[in-house]
Amino acid sequence: MIEIQNLEKKYSSQTVLDINFLKIPAGQTFGLIGNNGAGKTSLFSCLLDLIHPTKGKVINNQVDVSISEDWKSFTTAFLDETFLIGYLMPEEYFYFIGELRGLSKQKVDSFMSQFEDFFNGEILGGKKYLRDLSKGNQKKAGIVAALMGEPKVIILDEPFANLDPTTQIRLKKIIKDLSNYKDTTILISSHDIQDVTEVCERIVLLEKGELIRDINTSEETLKELEEYFKARIN
Amino acid sequence: MFKTVLSLQWKEFNRGKFVGGKLAAKIFKWFWLIYFAFMSVMIGFIASVYGGPLMEFPIEKNSLVPFDYVNGQLIYFFAYLIVMRYFIQSLPVLNIRSFLLTPILKKDIVRFSLLKTILAYFNILPLFFLVPFTLILASSGNYDTLGLVGWNINLLGIIYLTNFFNFLLNNKNNLIYIVGVALGLTKALEYFSIIDFTTYSKEAFYLFYEIPYLSLFTWLFVFWLYSYVKKYFVTGLYIDTGLQVKIKEAKIDDFSWLDRFGKTATFIKNDLRLLKRSKRARTAVYMGIGCLFYGLIFVFSEDIYGTIGSFFGYLFSSGGFLFMFGSFVPSWDSQYYPLMMTQNIEYKEYLNSKWSLMIIGTIISAILASGIYSFIGINAVYAVLAGAAYNIGVNGYLTLWAGAYTKTPIDLNSSANAFGDKKAFNAKTILVGLPQILLPVLVYYFTSQNYDHTNGCLAVACLGILGIFLKPAAFNLIMKAYKTEKYSTLKAYKSK
Repeated sequence: MIEIQNLEKKYSSQTVLDINFLKIPAGQTFGLIGNNGAGKTSLFSCLLDLIHPTKGKVINNQVDVSISEDWKSFTTAFLDETFLIGYLMPEEYFYFIGELRGLSKQKVDSFMSQFEDFFNGEILGGKKYLRDLSKGNQKKAGIVAALMGEPKVIILDEPFANLDPTTQIRLKKIIKDLSNYKDTTILISSHDIQDVTEVCERIVLLEKGELIRDINTSEETLKELEEYFKARIN
Repeated sequence: MFKTVLSLQWKEFNRGKFVGGKLAAKIFKWFWLIYFAFMSVMIGFIASVYGGPLMEFPIEKNSLVPFDYVNGQLIYFFAYLIVMRYFIQSLPVLNIRSFLLTPILKKDIVRFSLLKTILAYFNILPLFFLVPFTLILASSGNYDTLGLVGWNINLLGIIYLTNFFNFLLNNKNNLIYIVGVALGLTKALEYFSIIDFTTYSKEAFYLFYEIPYLSLFTWLFVFWLYSYVKKYFVTGLYIDTGLQVKIKEAKIDDFSWLDRFGKTATFIKNDLRLLKRSKRARTAVYMGIGCLFYGLIFVFSEDIYGTIGSFFGYLFSSGGFLFMFGSFVPSWDSQYYPLMMTQNIEYKEYLNSKWSLMIIGTIISAILASGIYSFIGINAVYAVLAGAAYNIGVNGYLTLWAGAYTKTPIDLNSSANAFGDKKAFNAKTILVGLPQILLPVLVYYFTSQNYDHTNGCLAVACLGILGIFLKPAAFNLIMKAYKTEKYSTLKAYKSK
């Protein structure tokens, strides 16, 4: 589904991303892990053509993202609050995103109805603009908007951070269901080893922009990752 | 502690991401501040010599007339001072939250904020009037020096009363309504000449000249108000009371009647909400409305500026909204530009929606402006319509194109810098101003010189109509500019 070739991003002399080759097959739940400055967000930004790589390219479903914009019709993302429109109410935001993905108002409504539990009554029907919601609720709205319109690829940056425990569990289930039943390719980054090992079929460990490990998740993965990071301390 | 906090504030000013823009805004502000100070000095001189506006020209110099006159007007001066302070004076904003947990006493935080305003412009400005006024009165020999000193001290006290009162006005919602009604009533009573406040004002302020020591009571009152305000704020320093950000209740705006316009409507709906809900964006609309009347300036002084000036005014009257809104495309979307760039939309649709909104605004402005200027005659309406055609056919594209290079992020949630944020100055945005304004004015000038006014308008209108037919080509060029600038725009918007 996604192929990364010789991808390199440099700011003046500092290399923040340097990945030789990475292929993510369709339907995979892909986790990205690493410390601050490992290049997780830079990689996602390259995938979404938000930053221009110094070298190399990203192919998303046969589309070179920096040349054609066709990838936008099947790819969605929620990286941070810049994906929210502050002066809209959550409903208006969902209708807006829905319209861009060709969903009618009714379809958006019925899609939203499955997230009643997830929203916990704090998002829809309230009398607040998105800018006035709490950080956690803003994130919920952004993530759900990224799930709209049956995308083939979903990119989520730190989706679990800032969420309450119940919502984290719910979100994990939603992600697993999407990959099991809908064959959606999902890319997730996280600082939390446990979250990623729980959800992702495959985990890639980045450090200083380079690919250090590429693991198919198994029972030992958590331990392996823990040991890796422990070893970094000394 | 004062020193630490002061140095923090200096750093905040100095290290903002857009120091250049802020500095330009500061210079602009200082220009006005100095202008008003200068005017105050002049008024001080004039009042002290002639006792009132020049029109009333009193015959006797060296009488009590000037003093009485000023005393009579002081009540209005203080009324205006309260109003001006409320709307213009910005209260000191300390990043109070970050100080709450430091070992600085809450009392000191508040004291710092309050005392900082002692040197506020509105407290200093009256001195520019009072000092020359008093000096000239004193040198005339007709006045008692001690009396003048008491009179001045009293006025200074009242100035500081309004200063601290302004804090309360800004924080207590009910108070502003009461004061508003009171001021309105005063004005109404004066307007219908039911009560002449100037006589009372004259006697009241004269009292402080007669009995200088009375002014001590004014200052007692100042200290009382200061400690009251201080207490009010100290008790309010909790994040769920005084420091809480007020949230306005949201209402859904359903613009579904726009849906028939397809994908363009999707964005127009959002932009309408933006204009409605963001203070900063609303100013674009207000300024657009203001520009409707811009032509009047030139119409009433045609003998100074000539017909070229009038034409320029007409051009602006329909283009106000286009310039005010259009110059900040795509900056309006700066806070969520990454979202826009990853959605399933093409630049063409996005730009087309912005363009459509600008054009709708121009058409509405043109209709309104035609109405306003129709009283001048059909020639004025021709000029308005020609200007509108040019704005639609040419300026719409140019503004959008320049927007690709405008990379100043806009904070939609603040109105503080509605006049402050300067467009990122680059050669392209300045260059684009030439064909936007100079070209149509020149075309009008040469055709109207060689033929007549109607043909001049027609020539400009033709340029505009030609532009409308060239839309596909123009849009292709604009799109290219936006695509090449995409990454640097994203980067610039990120650094707020």
